[in-house]
Amino acid sequence: MSVRLAGVAIFMIAALFTWYGRGYTASFGDVLGPGVFPVIVGIPAMILSASLVVFPSGQVEWPERPYLVRQLAALAILAGYAWLLGPLGFPLATFGLIVGIGIVLGGAPLKAVILGALFAPALWALFDQVLGLPLAVLGDWFG
Amino acid sequence: MESFLFLADGFAVALTPLNIALLLLGCFTGTLIGALPGLGPVNGVAILIPLTFAFGFDATSSLILLSAVYFGCMYGGRISSILLNIPGDEPAVMTTLDGYPMAKQGKAADALAISGVASFFGATVAVVGLTLFAPLLAGLAIYFGPADYFALYILAFVTIGGIAGVDPRKTLLSALIGLMIATAGLDPISGIPRFTFDNYHLYDGVDAIVALVGLFAISEILMLLEKAAKDRAAPIGLDSWLPSVRAIWSTRWAVVRGSIVGFIAGVLPGAGASLGSVMSYSMEKQASDKNGTFGKGDPRGVAAPEAGNNAASGGALIPMLSLGVPGSGTTAVMLAMLISLNVQPGPLLFERQPDLVWGLVASLYLGNVALLILNLPMIGLFSRLMMVPTWALMPIVAAVSFVGVFSISNSIFDLELMIMFGVLGYLLRKLDISLVPLVLGLLLGGDMERNLRRALSISDGEWGVLLESPISLTLYALTAVFLGLSVWLARRDRKRRQARLTEG
Repeated sequence: MSVRLAGVAIFMIAALFTWYGRGYTASFGDVLGPGVFPVIVGIPAMILSASLVVFPSGQVEWPERPYLVRQLAALAILAGYAWLLGPLGFPLATFGLIVGIGIVLGGAPLKAVILGALFAPALWALFDQVLGLPLAVLGDWFG
Repeated sequence: MESFLFLADGFAVALTPLNIALLLLGCFTGTLIGALPGLGPVNGVAILIPLTFAFGFDATSSLILLSAVYFGCMYGGRISSILLNIPGDEPAVMTTLDGYPMAKQGKAADALAISGVASFFGATVAVVGLTLFAPLLAGLAIYFGPADYFALYILAFVTIGGIAGVDPRKTLLSALIGLMIATAGLDPISGIPRFTFDNYHLYDGVDAIVALVGLFAISEILMLLEKAAKDRAAPIGLDSWLPSVRAIWSTRWAVVRGSIVGFIAGVLPGAGASLGSVMSYSMEKQASDKNGTFGKGDPRGVAAPEAGNNAASGGALIPMLSLGVPGSGTTAVMLAMLISLNVQPGPLLFERQPDLVWGLVASLYLGNVALLILNLPMIGLFSRLMMVPTWALMPIVAAVSFVGVFSISNSIFDLELMIMFGVLGYLLRKLDISLVPLVLGLLLGGDMERNLRRALSISDGEWGVLLESPISLTLYALTAVFLGLSVWLARRDRKRRQARLTEG
């Protein structure tokens, strides 16, 4: 079932891709123009994904609910890190990332906090001080 | 014999203090990445690429560092195979079959030394092959016109999935998804924005490195979260690292055979190190398993796949450097790095940047020696570092991935894009769709389109030009043969599986 659904999704994307791609034209320049390659790519993609809908292959076992929740939590932490890196600054945001992902992955909370407290400043020192990648110590929220 | 003169120059490049330091650092890091279960060569190299950019090394030094990591991974993978019965990376799966039983019999030091020496020999065979054959292939590729390159790329997409018996439709679809992603951004010829959704972040297209780190590193975290976290068994202890020389010598023919088989598997497009080790193990088993000792701790069963996977990983560099078409996942990732550094691999690379090519080859010779020396006495250190639990390792990997991607462009958008690619990579992996063809499509898409359009400009819109030259006809014939073969294999596998289901 999952393969069929994925086939439908890819088919829709490929169809939209081909449809929009076809419309790109340039009034001058090369013979082929920017619209032909998307069609060359999109049509085989439509055919292959359609064939997966009709003749699916392989079984997919999705994780059970508690694991799904953990995966969503991990994604939330990753996205939160991307958005809070600026406001919080590197060491603080990274501390949160390491503690969060560590706990989600099954580490003991106290150990994860110790890991974060050690590695967040250590990574900042390594990248910013030693290797010269500028990473803000304190974010926008602190001044 | 021109090659040897170039090689001598290459050693001059490789022996600068910076490059030696990078080489040693790469070898150490690579062995560690290879030894840590869950961090394979593709992940490892993908995470390190953006950092290499950030350090601002030139292309040669970056390539030396990453190749050392790549070779180091192949050495490191065997450590956890032998001591933990968990392959550190995919090509090391075969090493568990005889390596772990050997370690249980108290011959861990022997198994490690045998595999280390076998790795050294296999990798050296591959580097010698690289020295001899890559220039030949590059010389041949000079005659390729735009239409021929288009045909070559098609061949690459069809073969990259390998003949592993996965549904070939999924492999091709993966490549096509990569090609679709590659068209996003300003059209290189007419300057028209395509598929940018009016988002100016997408005008430059999707940065391959951002996509790579997301597809491999972030999706790995999601994969790990699927299962309950388990405590790994403690590794088998080591009394000494001094092996018996006799045990090593007894595997010499297995090593030679494994190296040759592996090298051939590596040069073939789409095969890579995993197939190299599988093929050399099964060949060795057929050739010398007279008493049924394979699988129960036969030293030759450790030597052959290790020689095979190292020879294959070196061999995979040949098509990557001389044609610009990688033969494996990790070389695809290295291609991404070269393209990002504005180095276009291919036949012209050997003419325009001999320093880079031969500096790399020379450093691979040196790296092999360094890895052998590093690996024998420091095995105890690696086996201790290997015990870092997953819950502690992966958060650090995530943090380093973010720093690397952030350092490319300082844009939050790239971080979001990386997470999205992580989800995409996870979904595709669950659907049994290999990610390597997607990466290849993303990397080669622009070039493939440019060559097609160039060919049709030359012919003034006549599509027949694609089938005119003997080179492209040969390439299309190979594509057809390979496609036929993989469809046949996939069907045969399915029938077998169905037969087994009805029997049981």
